Amino acid sequence: MNLPNYEFLSAPIQLVTVLHLLTLSLHFLAMNLLLGGIIIVLTAVFRKRWDDPTLVKFARVFPVAMAATVTLGVAPLLFLQLVYHRQVYAATIVSGWFWLLVPAAAMVAYYAIYRASGRGEKTGKLSVPALLVALAGLLYISLVYSSVFTMAERPKLIHDLYANDQSGWVWNPATGDYLLRWLHMIIGAITVGGYWIGALGKDSPAAYQTGKRFFVTGFVLAAITGGAYLMTVPALLHTRAIWVLSAGVLLTLGALHLFFKKSFCAAGVLLLGSMLAMVYARHMVRLLRLADTYRPDSMRFAPQWGPFLMFLICFVVVLAVVAYMVRLLTAKRA
Amino acid sequence: MIYPFWDVQTGYGILMAIIAIVHVFISHFAIGGGLYLVVTEQMARRHNDELTLAFLKKLTKFFVLVTLVAGVLTGVAIWFIIGLLNPLATEALIHNYVWGWATEWTFFVGEITAALIYYYGWNKMSAKAHITVGWIYFIFAWLSLVIINGILTFMLTPGKWLATGDFWDGFFNPTYWPSVVMRTGVCVMLAGLYALLVASRQTAGDFKARIVRYSATWGLFGLAVTTVAQGWYLKAILLTLTTKILPGPVLALRSAAWLAIAIGGLLLLAWLLARRLPVVVAVLLMAVGLTWFGAFESFRESVRKPYVITGYIYGNSVEVAKTEKYKKEGYLAQITYRSGDAGADLFRHACRSCHTINGYRPLKPAFDGTDHKFIAGIIRGAQLLNANMPPFLGTPAEADQVATYIYKCVDQRPLDQIYPADDLGRQAFAIRCAKCHKLGTASDKSKSFTGQSVDDLNTMLDNLPELAEGMPAYTGNATERAALVAYLQSLGKAVKK
Repeated sequence: MNLPNYEFLSAPIQLVTVLHLLTLSLHFLAMNLLLGGIIIVLTAVFRKRWDDPTLVKFARVFPVAMAATVTLGVAPLLFLQLVYHRQVYAATIVSGWFWLLVPAAAMVAYYAIYRASGRGEKTGKLSVPALLVALAGLLYISLVYSSVFTMAERPKLIHDLYANDQSGWVWNPATGDYLLRWLHMIIGAITVGGYWIGALGKDSPAAYQTGKRFFVTGFVLAAITGGAYLMTVPALLHTRAIWVLSAGVLLTLGALHLFFKKSFCAAGVLLLGSMLAMVYARHMVRLLRLADTYRPDSMRFAPQWGPFLMFLICFVVVLAVVAYMVRLLTAKRA
Repeated sequence: MIYPFWDVQTGYGILMAIIAIVHVFISHFAIGGGLYLVVTEQMARRHNDELTLAFLKKLTKFFVLVTLVAGVLTGVAIWFIIGLLNPLATEALIHNYVWGWATEWTFFVGEITAALIYYYGWNKMSAKAHITVGWIYFIFAWLSLVIINGILTFMLTPGKWLATGDFWDGFFNPTYWPSVVMRTGVCVMLAGLYALLVASRQTAGDFKARIVRYSATWGLFGLAVTTVAQGWYLKAILLTLTTKILPGPVLALRSAAWLAIAIGGLLLLAWLLARRLPVVVAVLLMAVGLTWFGAFESFRESVRKPYVITGYIYGNSVEVAKTEKYKKEGYLAQITYRSGDAGADLFRHACRSCHTINGYRPLKPAFDGTDHKFIAGIIRGAQLLNANMPPFLGTPAEADQVATYIYKCVDQRPLDQIYPADDLGRQAFAIRCAKCHKLGTASDKSKSFTGQSVDDLNTMLDNLPELAEGMPAYTGNATERAALVAYLQSLGKAVKK
């Protein structure tokens, strides 16, 4: 039967990869503000560092950060599934229930964040239990993602795990593959969270100081865990990813320097560059691990330039409209 | 078959329905609610109507919480669940429509940003700017429907795409436009329903009467648009589908029609009770609305059977294009992830998408008291059953393996030991015959039993495979046979009367 073949890539692999890495970096930036921010705010609450109004001010930012995290997380997942569908779907099915609980956990976290924010606005006090619930939800999601996406890099492992259990209650047992990576991500989130807290709380010396402390300490710890994780993927040292990673570390140092000088915008740009470098290294780890079984560039290329153009035009228009709306929001009321 | 199979005892259909129905009920409100908010705000500002503006502020909070928290994340959950339940179809959809989805994502970014700015902007922005953001929100939200509708309707009626493989041929398929209009109507209707829920909590009085009547009008107008467009939509489906529409989808459609009447009735009741509309009526309206949407979506899903993408991929992920390959090489050769139990693997990939042994659409009651040979016969003729099932395209040996697997799970006592003698004939008929020859349907053969002797009917049972292609041989024991023959005679006599 002569039916259309769906096994094709409708844009060059390089283009899809760029879109994937770019959107993933943006997602991480928003996620770091959210996760790192919540951890830092909770730490400040327990150590009684800040006054309530400052805490409430940060809690007000979290719903927007959550919305941005979810929204910006959709596109990289789409592009990931476009190229690595065989690996990603197989891994998610093996861990089916854990995977399906991700949106549920996100919903609980999202609601808790709104509750914390709303309560803060109403009473002037932060709801610590709500923030703890949100944190638990976010940590669960991050752990599932680390477990599933590293499993997707091990096709043989997926086969073995599935042969033993088809129920979808299988957790990735290859913890060596992802625990350090997960820890690095969490510490990275606290690092970037430190930047955000410092930048958003620049008017409060206590907030700025706390942000700075988390930014610096986080950077050191992230470098240690990142270095340790690198040792588990020695092949990466022989690729250009190591140079990109080094550039990423330098960009973070530059961001720190600018942060100290209170040039927050410039520091943010450097952080985004650093994030891109980390995401690229992550991408290289996937390619290395899959090299024996799958090459993304081996997929048949059958362009859909018309629909791609539609996407591109809409993307540009939406960005312009978003900028316009933000301007409307920040403009002085007539 | 290139993916592992998620073997959950909960039915795939139930998992999908729970997530999808909740999502569509919220996501359509997310569009209609946006329109309701901005149109009403514009009117209220024009008339300096502070009461309505205060009501809208309250509604916005509810709107943002419901749509951003539950709406967005149930949408993500749909994406997660389709990848788990039918990864192959999801892969096919993503490869064909990645730029459609990416475009929808851009609108989604705009929509979420606009929703947050609209929410936070009530006290911060000028009226003009706030209304502008409201309109931007609605336009982006509606555009995301315009895009996703193309992919959704493609699954039911891919149209010329099956021949050309062209993005736009599949996108602007035969049910695209009626579906856009119908779903837009649903959005408006749901805006009214949700607004009534918030309005019902207002203190009884003139303002409550006004806002309840206004919201009920939205509901009734949306219901009218939906009803008219649904006729157009159904006509387009009937003109396009080649498979027969079975009692299941028809029942879902009938239920939807009755529920639509109930919605109309409740909206009129809300109009009449406007001044002191109780919360319970508004909650009931929401419940009926949700059930109505469930019935309609159930129709849409079931009318597509046996496919997940009509004419392209069957519900069990078997690709139509690979029919000959399956027939030649069998299913097992295509199953990439194996559990070590070939029968179980075959059962999962051929049957488990729609059936469980004991739970959702169970096979145990359908095969209790039968035998391996009968089960294998039913599997080989699956596409002939009265259920729009996909054909079993594996080898005959594989059909036997599936039958062996199912047989191990059912009650292996003969039927006469399971059912009492006075009900044995009816049960034997239900299990052995009614899978195809359901009484009261076009395939009811009761008439042909009129005047048949016991010998005639026994001869018929001896020669079943010769009567029609795919009919399994009769394999019951003597006791069961005698009871079945007597039951068949009673059916013939009932027709004569």
